[in-house]
Amino acid sequence: MLKGLKIITQILFLYVFYLIGSWIQSTFTLPIPGSIIGMILLFIFLLINVIHEKWVKEGANWMVSHLVLFIIPATVGIMNFFSFFKGKGLLLILIVLVSTAMVLISTSFSTQWIIRRKKDHI
Amino acid sequence: MIPDFFIGIVMIVGTIIVYILSKKLYIKFPSPFLLPITVSLIVIIVVLSFLHIPYDTYMTGGSWLNHLLGPGVVALAYPLYEHRKILKKLAVPILVGTITGALIGILTGVGLASLADFNADILYSISPKSVTTPVAVSIIESIGGIQSLGAVFVMIAGVGGTMMSAFIFNASSITSPTSKSIGLGCASHVIGVTKAMESSQQQGAISTVTMILSAVFVSMTLPFILLLFI
Repeated sequence: MLKGLKIITQILFLYVFYLIGSWIQSTFTLPIPGSIIGMILLFIFLLINVIHEKWVKEGANWMVSHLVLFIIPATVGIMNFFSFFKGKGLLLILIVLVSTAMVLISTSFSTQWIIRRKKDHI
Repeated sequence: MIPDFFIGIVMIVGTIIVYILSKKLYIKFPSPFLLPITVSLIVIIVVLSFLHIPYDTYMTGGSWLNHLLGPGVVALAYPLYEHRKILKKLAVPILVGTITGALIGILTGVGLASLADFNADILYSISPKSVTTPVAVSIIESIGGIQSLGAVFVMIAGVGGTMMSAFIFNASSITSPTSKSIGLGCASHVIGVTKAMESSQQQGAISTVTMILSAVFVSMTLPFILLLFI
């Protein structure tokens, strides 16, 4: 019971950061989502110890482990696009797969090259 | 008529039940085909279609859960902070990997879709496909595009990339475990992270840090890169 209350309070705290991020986004008309701005702020505040780890730990862990629940509603909207994937839309699946393979290869190769080069220097 | 409020409650409770059951199923049978998001999605869509409930009606309750996406993304600051030592130690490879992956992912995804003559809405929706769904959905919300379509592309990138990874790593000279984890985090977000976690907790953490940084980097650069195409 007490733990549940703690988690809810901490989620409200995270919500405040989201509101601040959204406020910054709309005030400066930034194209970056308010939630990302809020996240960067929270990360910085944690790093410089303005916010203590204890204040967000349980709430953040709970939110992160249940993120899937919060993305379900937006994703269910795909039910209005089934006919799209019967036609030309099918090509997009192939495009996503090709592009993802290229990301995987380029990222892994570039980091491996850097890690090896670093080791040679030592 | 049944009041909207009541319908909303039923939709939320239904979604939560489906989510809990699909999570239990995945714990019993952890396969990339039985990911909780995929199973929940199929069950909910089948039930809604069967009962002839339109998406808009579902969203009278669904939108309440949707409101928690924002604080959910903010919460990702904590795992990033928790693994700050890894971030510091591997700063150069993680940053280089993140920047490479984000740029290649956006340019090839949007570029190929643009070559295939898809309209701007589709280009917006495909552009954040490498990043974790909550962030991708938020990005589409601020730049434009179709959120649910974007979420599906993210899912394909996650499941597809993770399944292709074993083949790609075997067929190429990529042997460093750290590079594999960074690649998985950049290309296939949470699903890739789960794969990296199979080798060790440490590799999972590397992949998590990469995934979060990649989400930040993509959301900051995407609006400007898209200007090249639209």
